[in-house]
Amino acid sequence: MSNVNTTSFTIVVILFLLVTGAGFAAARWRRADDMLQLDEWGLGGRGFSTFISWFLLGGDTFTAYTFIAVPALIFASGAIGMYAVSYAAMAYPIAFIFLPRLWSVCRTHNYATQADFIRGRFGSRGLALAMAFTGILALMPYVALQLVGIKSVITVMGINASSTNTFVKDLPLFIAFLVLAVFTYVSGLRAPALIAFVKDALVYLFVLVAIFYIPTRLGGWGAIFSHAQTHLAAINPKTGKPNGVFLPTSKSTGSTQVDFMTLALGSAVALFVYPHTVTGTLTSKRREIVKRNLALQPLFAILLGLIALLGYLALADKVTVANVKSHGANAQLAVPFLVQHMFPSWFAGIAFAAIIIGALVPAAIMSIGAANLFTRNIFKEFFKPDATPRQETRVAQWASLVVKLGALYFAAELPSTFAINLQLLGGVWILQIAPMLIGGLYTKWFHRWALLAGWLGGMAYGTIAAYRSASPTASHWASSSDIELGHTVYIGIAAVLVNLVIVLVLTVVLNAVKVSNGTDETRPDEYTADPEKAPEPVPALAD
Amino acid sequence: MTQPAVKSRGPVAAHPVRAALIAIALAGLIACTLFVTIYDSATPKVGDFPFFYFYLLVYFPVMAIVLWIVVRLQKGLRTPGDETGEQRP
Repeated sequence: MSNVNTTSFTIVVILFLLVTGAGFAAARWRRADDMLQLDEWGLGGRGFSTFISWFLLGGDTFTAYTFIAVPALIFASGAIGMYAVSYAAMAYPIAFIFLPRLWSVCRTHNYATQADFIRGRFGSRGLALAMAFTGILALMPYVALQLVGIKSVITVMGINASSTNTFVKDLPLFIAFLVLAVFTYVSGLRAPALIAFVKDALVYLFVLVAIFYIPTRLGGWGAIFSHAQTHLAAINPKTGKPNGVFLPTSKSTGSTQVDFMTLALGSAVALFVYPHTVTGTLTSKRREIVKRNLALQPLFAILLGLIALLGYLALADKVTVANVKSHGANAQLAVPFLVQHMFPSWFAGIAFAAIIIGALVPAAIMSIGAANLFTRNIFKEFFKPDATPRQETRVAQWASLVVKLGALYFAAELPSTFAINLQLLGGVWILQIAPMLIGGLYTKWFHRWALLAGWLGGMAYGTIAAYRSASPTASHWASSSDIELGHTVYIGIAAVLVNLVIVLVLTVVLNAVKVSNGTDETRPDEYTADPEKAPEPVPALAD
Repeated sequence: MTQPAVKSRGPVAAHPVRAALIAIALAGLIACTLFVTIYDSATPKVGDFPFFYFYLLVYFPVMAIVLWIVVRLQKGLRTPGDETGEQRP
């Protein structure tokens, strides 16, 4: 522990203890009569106001992906990383179109997961299972990304860095992980909902200070941008190509424009199909709250754009660049090193804590979303149809632990050179349920077996394409983009197109030969319904 | 293609202009960030920011305002019977 800055370390520990306490205390926050109900543990009682929902959804969607992986990509490759900003901008209007409908139908039928909805809409346990399986699978690399994010902060803080024993070296990560697992188990969704207040406040503080203060130390934005432009245009002696692009181009370095567009569109559609964001949405009390929240989220999302630019700030700081280079050129360390070099140690502590807590909140909601899917659509559906609410909740609690262990495996197994690939890989999979989920919200025309076949085709294509992508440093899972028809394209988009073609062709065939399309238990008016007595006009935190 | 078009037929037919405005607003918000060619340029510079970076940052407050207007417009789309879910048949 010799090279650990005591001030930074102390502040991180204090803030970590604070949120740990909040995580456990959350079990008593807005307490229900019977906490052993899946609606309580897994959806926080479905009673959150606009105020709480705003913090929760912001805390849910802004993850280590935002704080570590996106700036790392911009640090290493330039403007292509800005696809994440375009993606965030697109995600809210896209969600605005279908998310209120999903909320309404789930509220009317008391569905706890999107697979519950698929089961009700298409009367198909198989299709619901496909969705549950995909949701759980896709979340594992995403939770793993949170762990990679925490680890990069711990590495830069120098905790146990000198130890050669892997277990001792990763001990702080295990401790953070264990605490996360236990408070999620105990408090369910209330824990991340309460911690989200602390997280969002810390993140806002850290980003605003960073974005106004750091440029003054680096000669202003003009100097930062022109430095980035020069660096990205320079030829990398190892590859013989430029380091990156300052603007997405259609020439010279390959078709980065198409890559940019497909990455942004694929990620945007995927965002509100993911179980953790659906879980976050279903906690809202009224339909109107879902809409208002989506309209207000961009005020949080602008932080993503600012955080992305931290990649260029890091590039303009010689000390940070040298530090990253001496740590195996791991771009994930760019933001933590920038923070360490630019800020006094007490503020660096706050910033480090913001990133660590920032990763814990979504990791908790993700594991709860996956646990809800497992409990409702696998355990109850196939193993114990007569499970009581109490048994359901117990199973969900244990499932949340198992999901985190799966994520540990992903974190250890997949190459972490570009952690952003962990999220993009999850996106390749989760996009394959978009046709049945979004399509199903609007029409019953799609045939259930066509949707299942399309899902299978998309999953197979996407997985194989992602597995086969290689780079000089990794033989598999190296990239999430592939070259199709002469353009670099996000594999998720290519796979979902394969999926859609299968769905359309088979739907026409199956409808023509009149194969049963299952019983639909939903009615058209339920997709715009707003069931629930008018909300109490009390301030959000007073109850 | 967007929500108003598939809302129960009544309100959309009753407020065609309002429904069209909502559809245009949402489609416009998506298209103006999807098609990167619109803003894929270093000039004109806004302050020290190349246009590409400035555009993406300014997009968020603009989007918040447009989405807020859409929320208001949708409220007007509702027919009185639509106000509460309890009146379902």
